[in-house]
Amino acid sequence: MLGVYVHIPFCDGKCSYCGFSSFVKTDDEKERYINSLVEEIKEFAGEKKREIDSIYIGGGTPSILPINLICKLFEALKENFKWKDGLEFTIEANPCSLDEEKLSFYKKNGVNRISLGVQSLDENQLKFIGRRHSSIEAIDAVKLAKKYFDNVSCDLLIGLKDMDENAFLAQINTLAELGITHISAYMLQVEEGTRLHRLVEKNKHLLPTDDDCVDVYEKMTDKLAILGFSQYEISNFAKQGYESYHNFKYWTGQEYVGFGLGAHSYLNGKRIANDTTFSGYYDRIHTIEAINDQQRLEEHIMLGLRCKAGISKIVMKTLGYDITTNSNLVEFVEKGILNQQGDIITLNPDYYGVSNYIIVKLLPE
Amino acid sequence: MDRINKIRNFCIVAHIDHGKSTLADRLIEKTGTLAKRDMQEQLLDSMELEREKGITIKLTPTKMNYTLDGETYELNLIDTPGHVDFTYEVSRSLAACEGAILIVDASQGVEAQTLANAYLAIDNNLEILPVINKIDLPSARPEEVKKEVEDVVGIPAMHAPCISAKEGTNIEDVLKMIVKEFPSPKGDENGKLKALIFDSYYDNFKGAICLVRIFDGTLKVGDKVKMMQTGKIYDVTEVGVFVPNEKPVDVLRAGDVGYLAGSIKTISDVAVGDTITKVDNPITEALPGYKEVQPVVFCGIFPVDGARYNDLKDGLEKLKLNDASLQFQPEVSQALGFGFRCGFLGLLHLEIITERLEREFDLDIITTAPSVFYHVYKTNGEMIELSNPSSLPNPVEIDYIEEPMVKASVFAPPNYVGAIMDLCQEKRGIYKDLTYLDENRVRLNYTLPLGEIIYDFFDSLKSRTKGYASFDYEMAGYERSDLVKVDILLNGEKCDALSIIVFKDKAYARGRVLTEKLKKIIPRQLFEVPVQAAIGGKVIARETIKAMRKDVLAKCYGGDVTRKRKLLEKQKEGKKRMRKVGSVEIPSEAFMSILKLDDGE
Repeated sequence: MLGVYVHIPFCDGKCSYCGFSSFVKTDDEKERYINSLVEEIKEFAGEKKREIDSIYIGGGTPSILPINLICKLFEALKENFKWKDGLEFTIEANPCSLDEEKLSFYKKNGVNRISLGVQSLDENQLKFIGRRHSSIEAIDAVKLAKKYFDNVSCDLLIGLKDMDENAFLAQINTLAELGITHISAYMLQVEEGTRLHRLVEKNKHLLPTDDDCVDVYEKMTDKLAILGFSQYEISNFAKQGYESYHNFKYWTGQEYVGFGLGAHSYLNGKRIANDTTFSGYYDRIHTIEAINDQQRLEEHIMLGLRCKAGISKIVMKTLGYDITTNSNLVEFVEKGILNQQGDIITLNPDYYGVSNYIIVKLLPE
Repeated sequence: MDRINKIRNFCIVAHIDHGKSTLADRLIEKTGTLAKRDMQEQLLDSMELEREKGITIKLTPTKMNYTLDGETYELNLIDTPGHVDFTYEVSRSLAACEGAILIVDASQGVEAQTLANAYLAIDNNLEILPVINKIDLPSARPEEVKKEVEDVVGIPAMHAPCISAKEGTNIEDVLKMIVKEFPSPKGDENGKLKALIFDSYYDNFKGAICLVRIFDGTLKVGDKVKMMQTGKIYDVTEVGVFVPNEKPVDVLRAGDVGYLAGSIKTISDVAVGDTITKVDNPITEALPGYKEVQPVVFCGIFPVDGARYNDLKDGLEKLKLNDASLQFQPEVSQALGFGFRCGFLGLLHLEIITERLEREFDLDIITTAPSVFYHVYKTNGEMIELSNPSSLPNPVEIDYIEEPMVKASVFAPPNYVGAIMDLCQEKRGIYKDLTYLDENRVRLNYTLPLGEIIYDFFDSLKSRTKGYASFDYEMAGYERSDLVKVDILLNGEKCDALSIIVFKDKAYARGRVLTEKLKKIIPRQLFEVPVQAAIGGKVIARETIKAMRKDVLAKCYGGDVTRKRKLLEKQKEGKKRMRKVGSVEIPSEAFMSILKLDDGE
């Protein structure tokens, strides 16, 4: 079934590592954007209301929107889609812009999952990456979110300046004690054109080494397992039953529609990317890429091996690839890098850190 | 006046970059052989690569007409390649001339190849006329340089024309001098045909073309001719001259320079230095000086993409059409698959061929470390010649090995003598003598192993003398030496394409540098990889490439799977440039990187 993604490209400042579409804008500009977004949703829906089973409002910082604007968006989503029972409805928030009024409004309108951009609970690291909140504010925000919502997820970054294994694991503990149900932990990626990139260019030793990051990542995985979070994807961990349903659509080649600046859709075998500038977005400029079987196959292997769910030999065969002819497969299975169970091949989580290397080896020649 | 008395056959010789090709261009322009608008800078360097590198590789003769005092003279300019790798070709084109213009740069003075080429001309009994070029440069010191020519080369130079080929200054003086000072050819056009092949090239329609100088007799279409060395017989289908493009004529006579075509299928049938005569009225004695050109530097060439083996073969065959000195034969390497063992006249020749393969045939190639030809004497009395380190027999079967030596001359300002001596010492050189040419220049003579010269000698010499030194060498036989094979083991498995033959006392140092270098170049693998250098079974150096820990794609924002897939596809492309040795993946650059080990390491 279809999932919906809505992009809110506004922030109260730019984080140093951010290479994504986000801007600091006035309220008037935000209003213009929301109006355009509502139009885009209407244009897509037309007469027929399609049924959806997930909504994800991401950013940027969706929680920065004042209630009157978020309300317009919620209404458009309600009017133009048929919401399936049990629909997963996530909204991303950052600790600074969250308050009880907003939380209660979200809840009233069907939101059932909050994803909080905590990133770190270390003051210096937060300053270093240019977050505008303190660790106390982050913890308060988690507590506040938990007051209204059962399902609260936190984002964390691995590989920040002065990373310390014990301090990192203590953060995990703190968050788990606050009752969060889901953690997304990403390794910091230094993207070109970001402030962080310029800093790293100047000082190569600013950030911890890859080896140290993987060490912490592996320790974290063990710790989370003890705390009852199971790893269902390389960077995602959830208490039982709290896996993000929406993200799963990206990883399993299901359809989704994306609204807003820079948003992506995958519909009828085509991936559509909206323009990443405001003017381009308002003019509805977008690119369409027809995904052929070869690309679908690559995506199946690339995304599937990063998930606990793995990849399917039958699916690959329908896409024209008999993976058993790949000489690396045998070697990896023998070495215990890959597990084979019936139709399904999964990557041994011990090798998640080098997953990309393995994936490339399993692609057709 | 007789026809033959109005011919002047001459060449221009010089140290590299002293302005040979530029002067040739000016002469062609001044004699009106080509209108200015048809001129291309340095016309005679016809290959793209030649023009780019500023050097001449293939010879191109040009016939020019020049009128002086009412008489029209035929001037045949035979251009010569200006690099030590092509010394034999130079000597054959000199043999086709009566005179040589020796260009000397007015600011740089006499250099290694000035002297080497002047001596070649003297050996061929040519009249030598010095010309001082680049007088337009602010640093020009023509009078001093004239004196240097007299002192060092030992030929009169006080009346040498001072010119600027670049700006066209005093070119007329050079032309007058050619007519007045160079002798006309001697020869009997009624005698038996005696002609020298001084170069050849391949034409897709006419077959191999011989560039010839007629000494006696005549040559015309329909003649049946014989190559005296190869013994091959051909019917002449075309004769002609170069103006500077091919222009057919009815007949070539004694004293002339021109070409002949005779449906000669391959360039290998045309041996430069061979003598041509007529089948029905032959001479008995060939012209002297014929020598089979032997490659001295060897390396393996492999396609990066193994599937392109046939394209590589095709490329080498096409280059061979125009370059008889290029040799190659199939080679199989465990690490690199199917490729070719190739032989070259020198490092420049090697560089030119590999560059042409990449440019003209759009090939990505892997070159193994250049090597020389060794004479290996086995304990059973047998002697084998080899250049490929992996064909070296087991140490217990080897009695001793001989390596090729060269006589080398280095020219430099006196303050670099220490640095040069240090370098030659490091390269196992044996000091012969040191001569002060004047207060600004010395000449150092050394005997050196060729194997040391092809490894990093030019670069080191340049960097240690800030580019002031010039260098020339000639082959000087074989000498017994204490050589060993150093193998590289990756994860315990020998990688044949990385083996080298080195002087025993240097083996440890080279082994260490090699393993350190490979550690830097080979990316981390799924498992830890030991990199070892070994002589026989004995490990002499070891480095470890730690296992790879992190290779993971970033999160995909808002369903942007495409971006992620594209990153993956890029990575997959990169994998194609990897070679697998046992279980270790090596980037193709690794094989080339061992050719050059930086000075500091």
